[in-house]
Amino acid sequence: MGKHLLTVESLSKRFHSGGRAVAAADALSFHIDAAETLALAGPSGSGKSTVARLLLRLIEPDAGSIAFEGDDWLALQGNALRARRARMQMVFQDPLAAFNPRATVARVLDDPLRIRRIAPRSERPARIAELLERVGLSPNLAGRTVHEVSGGQRQRVAIARAIATKPSLIVLDEAVSALDVSVRGKILELLADLQRTDGIAYLFISHDLGLVRAFAHRVAILDGGRLTEEGDARAVIDAPRSAVGKALVAATPRLHRLTGQDAS
Amino acid sequence: MRRRFLQTPEAVAGTAILVLLAAMALAAPLLFPGDPLRIAGPALTPPFQDWALPLGTDRLGRDVLAELFHGARTSLVVGLAAAAASLAVGAVIGTLAGFAGGLADEALMRLTDAFQTVPGFLLALAFVSIVGPSLSVVVAAIALSAWTGPARIARAEVLSIRERDFVAGARVVGMHPLEIAFREVLPNALPPVLALSSIIVAQAILIEAALSFLGLGDPNRVTWGGMVAEGRTVLRTAPFLSIVPGIALVVTVLGVYLAGEGAVEGAAVRKGLS
Repeated sequence: MGKHLLTVESLSKRFHSGGRAVAAADALSFHIDAAETLALAGPSGSGKSTVARLLLRLIEPDAGSIAFEGDDWLALQGNALRARRARMQMVFQDPLAAFNPRATVARVLDDPLRIRRIAPRSERPARIAELLERVGLSPNLAGRTVHEVSGGQRQRVAIARAIATKPSLIVLDEAVSALDVSVRGKILELLADLQRTDGIAYLFISHDLGLVRAFAHRVAILDGGRLTEEGDARAVIDAPRSAVGKALVAATPRLHRLTGQDAS
Repeated sequence: MRRRFLQTPEAVAGTAILVLLAAMALAAPLLFPGDPLRIAGPALTPPFQDWALPLGTDRLGRDVLAELFHGARTSLVVGLAAAAASLAVGAVIGTLAGFAGGLADEALMRLTDAFQTVPGFLLALAFVSIVGPSLSVVVAAIALSAWTGPARIARAEVLSIRERDFVAGARVVGMHPLEIAFREVLPNALPPVLALSSIIVAQAILIEAALSFLGLGDPNRVTWGGMVAEGRTVLRTAPFLSIVPGIALVVTVLGVYLAGEGAVEGAAVRKGLS
């Protein structure tokens, strides 16, 4: 402990539906280092999003421990937790649902700056413009409502919000799945740039192994709330050992093409 | 949006009535300056006899038309103020209950039940007779019973909104729960709550009239309910004294309902529901 940015040990969470307990996370253990991308892959219902929500303390686990930046993350409460949230951010799958339908781009980015007292009121417009430029958007977008910008722009706004508080870890919950292919590539490039310049680590949650192979350093494959295999992203995806891993690879038709492109 | 709203005939009729009413209320001090409760002519002049007093005078010789105009002010003020107060209180309580959940939700909703089981008029009657009749007390008394509907609807909306991603997003950013509740959730829960406003305004006008009829209205203000009560003693000889303010009440409540109906229908058209 202490040498990894994030260490998760035996994390468990059960949901009760219709009298039946379903394990969404079953004794999960994994770690993420600084400036590293760990992908969490798995079929639908394998508990990927539950892990994201557990890490961000949006739901509380039944058992297990999370150490983040050397602290017992699960012991933080109230104001202490809100203050430390600055260091771990999240980008949601559906960029439309992730923003208050009434909010403007400026307000979305103003919130973290105001709440975490990163900049005084007078400096915030300049900081917002700066954030927009960092994610490749025009500062003129600030006055628009989130609904008026395109899906790709919206996801860039979500990334700008996530980096506003200078986090060390961003959880990307299917963050590029809803985007079309050309936009997706640009967003992944942006994320990779931010990782290089700011040393941000990512937990990249995706069901698309082609993307995982291209973007992540390591991959952990999740099935029914359990980790079935974990290792170097290329090694695991090129030669999966678990049955779920094999099934996922088989279900990714574009993988062969991607592999071919990589080789050339 | 406005054009859509005015397309339905009931919305046009309702809006016309409300505009007329508002004009009456605003023009009252200009057209009928001075105290409308002062004596203006011989007692019990029937309507359409003396053109200085078009609707005649009451038992004490007060100008009925002046009373009618000034009464419109009271009705509108009470209706709007009571609706605003009950919507505000209801929305806040409903949001707190829905967003906090657990014990707080349980406690607030049982409180809402308690208020809802007592008939609204009885509650207002009890409140005014204890605190004493004045316009603000009447408004508070009406709001006391009318906030439960908005509270229930706000809570139901909040229960579904609080599960949405943007609320999770606000938590991730580190927003305080109270700020999330009132800045992120409440504004999005408002539209169905506001749809109740016309019903509450109409009810408030009627409750105020009923309180005034029973002599529990603000004694320093002309109210239509009070005029009906005044006319009651001479109902056989001068029925117009009760009929004129009665018609004013009916038309007003009808106008509020029609406009409200039109607004709801306009909103439904916008959403593609009808």
